Amino acid sequence: MNLERLPNEEKLTLCRKYYFGGFAFLPFLWLVNVVWFFKEAFVEPTYTEQLQIKTYVKRSGLGFLLWVAVLTTWITIFQHFRAEWGEVGDYLSFTIPLGIP
Amino acid sequence: MSTSDSEEDSYNERTALVASEIPSVPSYQQDPDQPQPADMEPRRRTVAPEPAAEPPSLDRSAVEREPVDLEEEEELPLKYGAKHVIMLFVPVTLCMVVVVATIKSVSFYTEKNGQQLIYTPFTEDTDTVGERLLNSVLNTIIMISVIVVMTIFLVVLYKYRCYKFIHGWLILSSLMMLFWFSFMYLGEVFKTYNLAMDYPTVAMIIWNFGVVGMICIHWKGPLQLQQAYLIAISALMALVFIKYLPEWSAWVILGAISVYDLVAVLCPKGPLRMLVETAQERNEPIFPALIYSSAMIWMVGMANPARHAEPTNQDTGSSDEEAHRSEGSALARDWVEPETQVSSGMNRSYSTEDDLDEEDRGVKLGLGDFIFYSVLVGKAAATGGDWNTTLACFVAILIVSVAVRKTKCWRRK
Repeated sequence: MNLERLPNEEKLTLCRKYYFGGFAFLPFLWLVNVVWFFKEAFVEPTYTEQLQIKTYVKRSGLGFLLWVAVLTTWITIFQHFRAEWGEVGDYLSFTIPLGIP
Repeated sequence: MSTSDSEEDSYNERTALVASEIPSVPSYQQDPDQPQPADMEPRRRTVAPEPAAEPPSLDRSAVEREPVDLEEEEELPLKYGAKHVIMLFVPVTLCMVVVVATIKSVSFYTEKNGQQLIYTPFTEDTDTVGERLLNSVLNTIIMISVIVVMTIFLVVLYKYRCYKFIHGWLILSSLMMLFWFSFMYLGEVFKTYNLAMDYPTVAMIIWNFGVVGMICIHWKGPLQLQQAYLIAISALMALVFIKYLPEWSAWVILGAISVYDLVAVLCPKGPLRMLVETAQERNEPIFPALIYSSAMIWMVGMANPARHAEPTNQDTGSSDEEAHRSEGSALARDWVEPETQVSSGMNRSYSTEDDLDEEDRGVKLGLGDFIFYSVLVGKAAATGGDWNTTLACFVAILIVSVAVRKTKCWRRK
């Protein structure tokens, strides 16, 4: 899909849908939103809907960063304490590495 | 476009095309007369009217457009130059690289544990060579018959306008691909590299990957991401085939599919051909069938996603696998023939000319071709163990695909 050929209202609708979609535990969608609409929001010359697109892109960016922080924290905790948690650790594990740590 | 919108889309496209003739949109008027991309045949250049030098008056442009169209149609075969072929080499190569890399590193996909698909019921663990050959031929016959039946079924569905059914089918297939197979793949990669991973993180990864994939493929999304997803699911599908098709059957099937492909496309009563003709009669874009497009086609005032191809496949022993084949005819409209297959979908690669209003003439290749080539190279990498074999296969595929493409263009001329 080529954004350049879309009319501005449709760009806004698309951005908005991506933004709201991201609330369904989809930080990747927010990332796509940011990357895809970045040029539209910040580089292109101003047009009416650009301000709203900007807010959506900014919020998507924030949301994405928040998720990254949460996931990084959780992964670090898990990797570090997995062995110590014993049964709970195994229950949570999708794959368990073989061998001696 | 969302699947339920496809019929509305077709009307939009038509009205959009009609609207483009109206002088109130002079910028679009001018587009077909714009200079062609630099690599176009020089003959084309001299034929096209001088761009931008002439004010785009309605009558003149409309009149000029007609001889341009005729010449466009005649010159179509000439346009399939090196650039287009190269534009497809990159994704095909990427897909093959992913498949070969996985085969070489993740042993799961080369382990044979005796499990086979229900479409290849005859085992290859036989005592004599003759029996083995017989079994592989029988497997092939079964596989090809299933493919033929599914293709005809799809054509019938399309003919009787059961669009909802087809859309539902495609969505289910892509769901399966994006969620189940990527889950499997991720699990195997983690096991190979001996990493610990927890369910919540995996759930997040797969959920994100899957949902964004569905959005990009079936609705609207950035082109590169869509292409990346199509390559990813082609690679996944190819890997499943490499794992679950027994050795000899795989090679015989590949050969048989090539033959079938040619027959289905070029024979007048071939199902693929009928599909294309029906689609052309109805002047419809094909539903999100599985085509990889290297560029977006653009209709006036409309965001038109490229046709996508998704092969669908379900896992071992349990259910059916369907792969979609697409085929297009090299005419002025770009059409794709979807075909349902129950095997490594084979697609003929083709270049089609996009409509008048598009600027970026992309090339389309059915995903079945991706899968087919990847299975070939993957099998070579899995069995050979030697990089020379793999590279030789790769080069052979490139040469053959170019040759086939040229032949098809020439034939359709």
